[in-house]
Amino acid sequence: MIQLTATPLTALVDEPVHIRATGLTPFQVVSLQASLRDENGKMFYSRAYYRANEVGEVDLERDSSLGGDYVGLHPMGLIWSLKPENVLTRLMKKDVMNSPFQVQLKLYDSDLLLDNKPTSALKASLTLERWYVAPGVTRILVREGRLRGALFLPPGEGRFPGVIDLFGTTGGLIEFRASLLASHGFVCLALAFRGYDDLPLNPEITDLEYFEEAVNFLLRHPKVDGPGIGVVSICKGAEIGLSMAVHLKQITAAVLINGPTFTVGVPHVYRGQVYQPVPHSAQLITINALGAVEFYHLFEETRAESSKSFFPIEKAQGHFLFIVGEEDKNINSKTNAELAIDQLRRNGKNNWTLLSYPGAGHLIDPPYAPLCFASGIGHVCSAIHWGGEMIPHAAAQEHAWKEIQKFLRKHLIPTTTSKL
Amino acid sequence: MFQLTATPASALADDSVHIQVTGLPPFQVVTLKASLKDEKGNLFQSKAFYRANEAGEVDLEQTLALGGDYVGVHLMGLFWSLKPKKAFQRLLKQDVMNSPFWVTLDLYDYICFHDSATVQPRASQMVQRWFSGPGIQRKQIREGRVRGALFLPPGEGPFPGVIDLFGGFGNLIEFRASLLATRGFAVLALAYIAYEDLPDKLLEVDLEYFEEAANLLLAYPKIQKPGIGVLSLSKGAEIALATACYLKQVVATICINGFNAVSNVPLRYRDLVVTPIRSGGERMQVHISGAVCYRHCHGDPRDELNRQSVLPVENAQGCILFIVGEDDECIDSKAYAEQAMDQLQSHGRSCGRILVYPGAGHLIEPPYAPLCFASWVRGFSWPSLWGGVPAAHAAAQEHAWGEIQKFFRQHLIQTRSKL
Repeated sequence: MIQLTATPLTALVDEPVHIRATGLTPFQVVSLQASLRDENGKMFYSRAYYRANEVGEVDLERDSSLGGDYVGLHPMGLIWSLKPENVLTRLMKKDVMNSPFQVQLKLYDSDLLLDNKPTSALKASLTLERWYVAPGVTRILVREGRLRGALFLPPGEGRFPGVIDLFGTTGGLIEFRASLLASHGFVCLALAFRGYDDLPLNPEITDLEYFEEAVNFLLRHPKVDGPGIGVVSICKGAEIGLSMAVHLKQITAAVLINGPTFTVGVPHVYRGQVYQPVPHSAQLITINALGAVEFYHLFEETRAESSKSFFPIEKAQGHFLFIVGEEDKNINSKTNAELAIDQLRRNGKNNWTLLSYPGAGHLIDPPYAPLCFASGIGHVCSAIHWGGEMIPHAAAQEHAWKEIQKFLRKHLIPTTTSKL
Repeated sequence: MFQLTATPASALADDSVHIQVTGLPPFQVVTLKASLKDEKGNLFQSKAFYRANEAGEVDLEQTLALGGDYVGVHLMGLFWSLKPKKAFQRLLKQDVMNSPFWVTLDLYDYICFHDSATVQPRASQMVQRWFSGPGIQRKQIREGRVRGALFLPPGEGPFPGVIDLFGGFGNLIEFRASLLATRGFAVLALAYIAYEDLPDKLLEVDLEYFEEAANLLLAYPKIQKPGIGVLSLSKGAEIALATACYLKQVVATICINGFNAVSNVPLRYRDLVVTPIRSGGERMQVHISGAVCYRHCHGDPRDELNRQSVLPVENAQGCILFIVGEDDECIDSKAYAEQAMDQLQSHGRSCGRILVYPGAGHLIEPPYAPLCFASWVRGFSWPSLWGGVPAAHAAAQEHAWGEIQKFFRQHLIQTRSKL
C-alpha cells in the first residue's frame, strides 16, 4: 500500500520536514508535487521526480531527485522551489497569526509523457501546515506617537532581547520575519516607515528620529531586556539599520542584508545632520533576457565621489553582520559591503562580520522561502530582477538565518562573564 | 531640432537598418525605443539608453548603449532585443507575402523607463521589415501527400532547391523559407504535422513523405537538378539528418540544433524501421522563470542499448553542416553534432562540418530575429526554455545566415568543372 508521510505535518516555516514515500514498486519513478494557494488566491507549484529504491521507498533526506524543479539531494526542495503560476508573484504571508500556509503534497506514478500532463491517478496526498508563529506568541498592533508597526512577544514569563525589523522600498508593514524572530525568543517590532497607515508612500526624507522613537519604545517595554537593541534590516531598511547603529548607541547588533551602505533616494536626516543621497545614473539600468529590470549598476559611476553620503560607520559602538547575496541584481550588495568594511578597517575597527553567499540573490528571507525571480513594486517597476540561483539561494537562507540568531543572541544577551 | 533617421525605412527582415539621431544637446542622455505589434496584436518592445557625443549625435553604428535591453555597440540591438509584453510569446510572421512587420522607433530626450500613454516621444520613425522581396512567388502546395508552401525567386532560374523544416510543434512556419527564396533559392516550406489534413500528432516519421516532397521539388521547372538541400531546426533537423542518410535526392543538409539519432517516435523508410530512443520526462528541469528545460531528457546515443537508433550519417551521399548553439537549453546539440562528426570521421567521410556558437540558444533564426528565451509550445502545459545570451545569440544568427547561403551555393549549384 502506497504511503506518503511528512514529519512534522505542522511546523514553523523555518523548520525542515522529512518527506517519505513507501509501498512503491522497486525502482519505479514517481513524481512528487507540492502546491500552495496564497492569501490572494494565487497558486504556486513545484514538482520533482524520484526513483524508488529496491524496497520501494523514496526518502527525501537520502535520495536525489532526477529532475523537476530541482535536481539532487534536497530534503526541502519541494518547498523552496515552489513557483507562481503568474511569473511575477512573490510569496509573502500577510496574516502571520491566524493561519498557516497550507502546502498540498501529492504523489503520482510518473507516467509522464513529454507533454507533462500526468496521465495516472493520484497515489497519495497530504497537507502540511507552515506557520509563521510558534504557539503562544502574541501580536500587538503599535500606534504610539508616530510609530506604526506590529510588536511580537515570545511566550512565557521574563524578559527577552529586543529587535527592530525593517524591510525595504516595498513599503507597507511586512511582519513574517518579525513573527518568526519572536518565535525564537526575541521581542520583535516589525516597523513600517512608508506606504502604511498614515505614513507617506514616498517620504521626502529619511528621518532617523522616527527610528530613535522606535528604539526608545522598545526599551521601555516591560518584556524587553536592554540595554542593547538589535536591528534586522534588508535593502533600503539596511541603510536605516546602518545609520541607527552609527547614531544610536542603544543599537548593539545590526544585521544588514543586501543594503546600500550609503544614503540613497532621499536625504537622510538626524538632528540637523543631513546626508545627501548618492546621485544615480538611470542610463545604467539594464533589462535581462526575460524582460526583468536590473538596478544594480545604478550607483556605479557616482558612488566614488559621494563621500558625504556615506555614514561615519566607524563611530558605531555595536556590532555589524553584513549579509551579501553575490548574485543580487537589485543592489550591488557585494561592493556596498566592501566599502563599509573598508571604512571600518581604515579606522582600526573589527566590530563586523561578513557573510557573502555566492549564488544568492537579493531577497534573502528565512529558510525554505521560495526564490522569487522577479516581481513588481507597484510604484517603482512591474518586473524587478532580484537575482539568485535557486539552490545556492536556498542554502544561503538556511545558513544566514541561524547566523542571524546566533549574532543577535551574542550581542544582545549579556553573559555573566565580563564582555571583551 | 532633433532628427531621428532609420535607413532604409523599408527593408528585408534580414537586412540591417542604420539608426541615427542628430541635433541633440552635447552629451545628452536619450532613450531609443522600438515597438512592434504582431499579427495577433501582441506587443513587443525594446529600449536602450545612449549618450550623445559632443556634436549632439547618436549613431547606432558607433555609439555605446549604456543600459536598457543591451549594452555596447549594437547596430541592430533594438530589433534583436525586442521582448514580448506578455511573457513567453514568440515573434513569428504568419503572412510573409502581403505585409511587413511595422517597427516604431521612438526617441525620448531623457531616460524613459516606463511606458506612458500620455508622454509623447520627441521624434519617431516607422520602419518596415519584409519577409519576402519583390517578385517572389508563393505557391500553396497540396500535391499527393505533400503539404506546404513553395517560394520561387523571380526569373528563369534554374534555382537551387531547398526544403525548409521547422520543429515538431506543428503548423507551417514560412518566414525562413521566404527569406531564403529572396536570396535566390527555390524553397519548399514543408509541413509534417498538424497542418491542413496532416495528422495532429507525430506517431512516426515516414521518410517516404519527405522523399515525395523532395521529388516534387525536383520535378518543378526552374529547379536545379539533380539534388536538393534541406535547412532544418530542432526535430526538423533530426528528420533532415535522416533524409541525408537515406535519400539520394538530398545532397546538402543543414541541421540546426538537432539530435543525431531517432527520438521518441520510430523512423520508417520503405521496409526499414528504426526504433527511437525515448526521452525521460522525469529529467526535465524547471527554470527559475517557470519555463522547462528539456536538455537532460534525451537519451544517450552513445549508450550501447541505443545503438540501433543512431542515424547512419556515414551513408549520406551529400554534405552536412551542423549549426549548434552552446547555450541551447532544449537539447545538448553540441554533443550530438560532435558525435555525428566523429561518426563521419571514423568512417573516413570528410563531408561534414560543424559551426559552434557560444552563447547561442536553440532558436537560431535569420538575422535580427529577437532572441526567444522561452515560449509556449502547442500541447505543453508550461513554456519551453530555449536559452541563449542575447548579444551572442544575435551575432550567431547573423554569422550563421551567411554560412547557410554559402553552404547551399557551394553544394547545390553545378559549375562546369566540378571536382
